[in-house]
Amino acid sequence: MEEKCINREPSFFRPLGVTMRGEVRVIRIILSGWLLAIVGFQLFAYLLEVSYSELLLEDLVFFNLPIQFWLSGQFLPLWFIILCILFNVWMDRNTVQSTEGSLRFRIKPASGEDE
Amino acid sequence: MDFGIIQLAPLAMVISMFALFILSGLRNSKRQTLEYGFGGSYTGRVGIGAGIASNWMSAASFLGLAGIFYLKGYFAMAYVVGWTGGYVLLLVLMATQIRRFGKYTTPDFVGFRYESEKARTLAALISIIIAVVYCVAQFRGIALLVGWLFGIAYIPAVVIGTSLLVSFVVVSGTLGTARNQKLQYFVLIITFILPLMLLTRKLGYFWILPQFGYGAAISELQQQFGFNWSEPFASTTLFEWFALCFTLMFGTAGLPHVLSRFYMVPGIRDARWGVVWGLFFIALIYWSAPAYGVLARLFEARNGIASNVGTADAADMIVLSAASLGGLPIWAVGLLAAGGMSAAFSTTAGLLMTGSASFSYDIYPRLIRPNASESDKIYAAKGFFLVLAAIVMLLALRPWGMIAEIAAFAFAIAGNTIFPAFLLGIWWPRANATGVICGMLTGLVISFLPLFTGNLFPFILQIFPLTSSAFVGAPLVMTVMIAVSLATAPPSSTIGLFLRKNVHDCTESS
Repeated sequence: MEEKCINREPSFFRPLGVTMRGEVRVIRIILSGWLLAIVGFQLFAYLLEVSYSELLLEDLVFFNLPIQFWLSGQFLPLWFIILCILFNVWMDRNTVQSTEGSLRFRIKPASGEDE
Repeated sequence: MDFGIIQLAPLAMVISMFALFILSGLRNSKRQTLEYGFGGSYTGRVGIGAGIASNWMSAASFLGLAGIFYLKGYFAMAYVVGWTGGYVLLLVLMATQIRRFGKYTTPDFVGFRYESEKARTLAALISIIIAVVYCVAQFRGIALLVGWLFGIAYIPAVVIGTSLLVSFVVVSGTLGTARNQKLQYFVLIITFILPLMLLTRKLGYFWILPQFGYGAAISELQQQFGFNWSEPFASTTLFEWFALCFTLMFGTAGLPHVLSRFYMVPGIRDARWGVVWGLFFIALIYWSAPAYGVLARLFEARNGIASNVGTADAADMIVLSAASLGGLPIWAVGLLAAGGMSAAFSTTAGLLMTGSASFSYDIYPRLIRPNASESDKIYAAKGFFLVLAAIVMLLALRPWGMIAEIAAFAFAIAGNTIFPAFLLGIWWPRANATGVICGMLTGLVISFLPLFTGNLFPFILQIFPLTSSAFVGAPLVMTVMIAVSLATAPPSSTIGLFLRKNVHDCTESS
């Protein structure tokens, strides 16, 4: 049996229902990956600059670029694309599953087996 | 760059490119209405992505980003990260939900969600303010390009650029051309990346992927000319970097013309996957833009020009300067000029038309002439288009920053006003009309405070920098919205039910 949660107010911090809970869970995971990468890479570059007085940042080169250039200028946009793909794949799978679930729910009473 | 001389070949390329867009628009005008989702067909997710990218690509991306990189080095990475990372916020927190609301403009959304005509009118006014500020950045780009093409000074170039833009909109409108956004994106990306490949090839770097190849120029600048790239936070603080980056992200998720892309896409899945393609197409430009700034520095160093020389005007034209200093043929420089002009023109025309439509449908019949007929609204839209163009032209005569900085101010306004209104409107059902009106007004005050009181109270500039105020501002606006909403009556049960059933689908198994 299913019921609509019509008497309670859902929010990002208090999601209600299977679909919303699942959606909010994946949004939290994606946003954590997004925030950690942005803040983490800048702190990494900042700490290297402060601790080693630029020496290490001169030597660390990746794909022909200084490490901080590569991480912020090349990798982060790529990481954002990856996060968006992961989110979409999850949403597509979730949509298919919920559609299948709702179809089963509709078909059963029509066959008369549950009644 | 040569001023005082008419650049005939680049001018011919600019004219040819606009002729191509108009002809293609005429040919595809019928098909294009379908692509916007009002008909029964569309061009697929790649097409939606190209539309998002073409809509996004402005003078700030094409000219401004390289200029900021040239002047401020690593600090410009905040623009790259901010302008791409904002799409993650947009996708996961808003795109799907906005589509479920089924409203076609930002004022429509705000008016429906908050059940308030006042909130709707305020959202329309804010959309117009954002459009005006964003257009000033584009006008600066247009004026610099027109000045270079015709060999004239900045101020007459602003006036000529405005006349050309208005003429372009009138001609396109009269002929009934629709913008072929896919074609426009692919022309833009070719005009941006082809000259860069030629430059890196000429230097003997890895030219097939110049986005990586320019690393050799950084090494050369460092080893042979002592140009220091290894202190990313030497001239700026970590707070300034994060403030700018997050402001641009909040602004990306709150810019009306970016959000409008999701109202018009036929399906939710297409809207979501369109964002991924759009982000990829946008990233192609942002992976490449820093290279122009670095290569320009290298050419200048080789020519004995001191590294601390560089005005804002020169920096905003650095993409063309790099190609010119690198000895590329004039047609390659012309390609860049044509691409930059096209990016600025299409963005400006779109924003001015959106702004005038917002006035004629959301403000004119509500505040000025309540019984206005449809034809009155159309005349109002046409008239307001010219008024907006004149306002932007006047503001562009004395711009307050570089192209990217002016655009960032528009992002700050959107991040302080529209972004909190949408975020709480979608994810917190208790948010009400009084809350959103107070919140958006607070956001406007925060955005403009540094412009008017920054010189009197320097600490305001530190907490709310003009281009980066939404980092502290957006959370503050949300706090105001929450406090005021909790202190006043909750929204109607109708909107609560709509959010639960239609937006969040909170079906619960028991």
